[in-house]
Amino acid sequence: MEYLIHLGILFTIYAILGISLNLVIGYTGLLSLTHAAFYGIGAYTTAILLTQTGIGFFLSVILGIIFVGIVSFLIGIVLSRFSDDYYALGSLGLNMIIFSIFLNWQSLTKGPLGILGISRPELFGINFSSNFMFLILTLLFLILTYLVARFIVNSSFGRVLKTIREDEKAIQVFGYKTFYFKLAIFVISAAMAAVAGSLFASYITFIDPSSFALMESIFIVAIIILGGLADLRGSILGALFLILLPEVLRFVGFPSEIAAQMRQVVYGVILILLMLYRPQGLIGEYKL
Amino acid sequence: MTILETRNLIKRFGGVHAVDHLSIEVEKGRINGIIGPNGSGKTTLINLLSGMLAMDGGEIIIDDVQKFTQMFPHQVFFYGIARTFQNVRLFEQMTVLDNILVILTKRNVFSSLFEKHTEYHLKKAEEVLQRVDLWKKKNQLAINLSYGQRKLLEIARALVTDAEIYLLDESFTGLFPEMRKIVSNIICELKQENKTVILIEHDMGLIRELCDYIFVMNEGKLLVEGKPNYVLEGKEVIEAYLGK
Amino acid sequence: MEIFSQLIFNSIIAGAVYALIALGFNLIYGATKFLNLAHGVMTAIGGYTVFYFTKTLDWNIYLAVIIGILFAGLIGFSLDKFVYFPLRKRKASNMVLLVASFGAFTAIQAIIAILFNSRFQTLSQNTSAQKSFEIFGGVITQTQLIILASAALIMTGLVLLLHKTRFGKAIKAISDDEEVAKIVGINTNKIIGYVFFIGSAIAGFAGILVGFDTGIEPTMGLDLLFKGVIASIVGGIGNLYGGVLGAFLLGFVENFGIWKISGDWKDAIAFALLIVFLIFRPRGIMNK
Repeated sequence: MEYLIHLGILFTIYAILGISLNLVIGYTGLLSLTHAAFYGIGAYTTAILLTQTGIGFFLSVILGIIFVGIVSFLIGIVLSRFSDDYYALGSLGLNMIIFSIFLNWQSLTKGPLGILGISRPELFGINFSSNFMFLILTLLFLILTYLVARFIVNSSFGRVLKTIREDEKAIQVFGYKTFYFKLAIFVISAAMAAVAGSLFASYITFIDPSSFALMESIFIVAIIILGGLADLRGSILGALFLILLPEVLRFVGFPSEIAAQMRQVVYGVILILLMLYRPQGLIGEYKL
Repeated sequence: MTILETRNLIKRFGGVHAVDHLSIEVEKGRINGIIGPNGSGKTTLINLLSGMLAMDGGEIIIDDVQKFTQMFPHQVFFYGIARTFQNVRLFEQMTVLDNILVILTKRNVFSSLFEKHTEYHLKKAEEVLQRVDLWKKKNQLAINLSYGQRKLLEIARALVTDAEIYLLDESFTGLFPEMRKIVSNIICELKQENKTVILIEHDMGLIRELCDYIFVMNEGKLLVEGKPNYVLEGKEVIEAYLGK
Repeated sequence: MEIFSQLIFNSIIAGAVYALIALGFNLIYGATKFLNLAHGVMTAIGGYTVFYFTKTLDWNIYLAVIIGILFAGLIGFSLDKFVYFPLRKRKASNMVLLVASFGAFTAIQAIIAILFNSRFQTLSQNTSAQKSFEIFGGVITQTQLIILASAALIMTGLVLLLHKTRFGKAIKAISDDEEVAKIVGINTNKIIGYVFFIGSAIAGFAGILVGFDTGIEPTMGLDLLFKGVIASIVGGIGNLYGGVLGAFLLGFVENFGIWKISGDWKDAIAFALLIVFLIFRPRGIMNK
């Protein structure tokens, strides 16, 4: 049971990451590979604040959002001038730079050693240190993220995002400054990832840079492409599927060292097969 | 009254002058035809007028007062210019209705975030989609429409901007007769509303029937301009098309 | 002075390796116009093939190198045949191809890790006995001299191939406009298949050289891929000479960048160079 709760918490965190990245990749058509970096900045903000200052978890979440908002705004200014493969490459490069900072700014992040002893949150006398309570907390955040994302995609703003995906130049001729739309959705999406990061740090109570490397971005991309681009429920389904997948592999009986690699093989093969045979994912409509 | 003017407009691709010191004046309320052989710079001109291409020299003047030596695509809408594309550019994986609604909603990032389309928007969209006979297809994806329907949807998308100047790039090409009728009716209605149309077209019959004024381009330059009867009889045009 | 000449040597050697990666990458980009991220893993394929034939089967080292190069080429060729070609045929977007190529990258890298293990290993028989030369106070090893010589050889060979043969002219025609090339009777798919073979083989060779110089690990491809991609973008993507120029520029910037700070920042510096170019000159040095 405890293990199921653990999987449940991981699932909700990745569902938040999937939904938020889907806003950028699925709806706006920008292949951003920086998501793990924002997830990481959120996690580090919470980790550092909780271990070194007296402020509580929820305040750290808000500060994380603000901080990631600023960083993603600056990064977004650079990235939003691009589209297609240059966007993908630029975002990939920025993920690598931020990862390098996690790894090498040792006085702040403790480098590869990571940060230990991050505490679980407490609010209004409710203690979230039991995994079950924590699952409820992450579920609440997932629902909140889903509702915000749904509000965005159903608004006029959301419709403009889709036109950017379809033909950015064409929508510009109709009076839209697409740069600002791309920037705005990038920042919103990054802020959501920051929340997922804060939750992750507090749940695992230990973080190191390896959780926020490029592969993590790829994993989130795999989640949303599998579930379906431009489909919020697809991202939830994708997260569920890819979180359960390693358990299946373990059930089949691979030793753990190989299981980790097998997982990568499966992610890679899934991406290839989806591109070849079902570019709209399991339940999505939009084809990359 | 001149609503749109170019002065010494230049666009180069590599060493080739696609538009070469072109100066034209477009009168308000007229249907203007642009003709010329392939590669004479017609579409490049439209792309310059709509900010899709950066100019290499010269200027564009709108309403006699607004001078541009550089024009960005997102500006042209606010100066009352709308266009269609030679190779149809719709928002393919969106519904017909969404293709229209996006033109009607707010341009500002923050206000659009807190805006949803209303009955008013829907009514406007219905009006224009009825005109091109696509209202019954409103929930289909644009990508699934027939070629002719796609061209019509593009025209509807331009119409719904309520612009002053319409740049139509080969809007008749590949259409069935009944669709051609719809398009020519729309163009005539625009003229009655005192709007300006700039039309690229190869069908000389249509040009003669619709246009009040014609610009003939060749190798990026203005070859001759004038009323259809005058221009189409002229030997310059025949030479440009058929060679000497 | 010693440090200075050593840095220059290091820059040139790094530049030569990056140039080899960039050459293949640009060749493929020129012909297909998509960023083939799987290109990076060809280095690991080359490296590990040599590792297998020399260390496990104890074959002759030169034979093993040739097999390694051919095998990398073959994998690149097969990827085109079974993944990219079907996608190109149905006119999939560059993004689809990019995602598929990254899927291939992830899967192949993990398969290598399963077959061999993730440890860092060297290809050279006896590192301490390696001959080295001292020039202007800097040290350069025999392997590194071989790297420089063979890189120069391959670049010259490639230039001759492209300019002096019909095959080269066909590649150029495809790079300029694939449709037109088809019309004038070039079998574009066959030529593109060969391009993948040649590009991947060169990358495999680069991986083998790195394996002799420092060593191999399954994840080596990612780092080398990025360096190759950065070199290509800095120099001008799709432009072979630009790629070589960019590679050496990257080599110098990266090595001199860490003159006064910790070597851990090398990657961050490389990506910072990428971002600087993306902001100020996204088309690279050579492209207009």
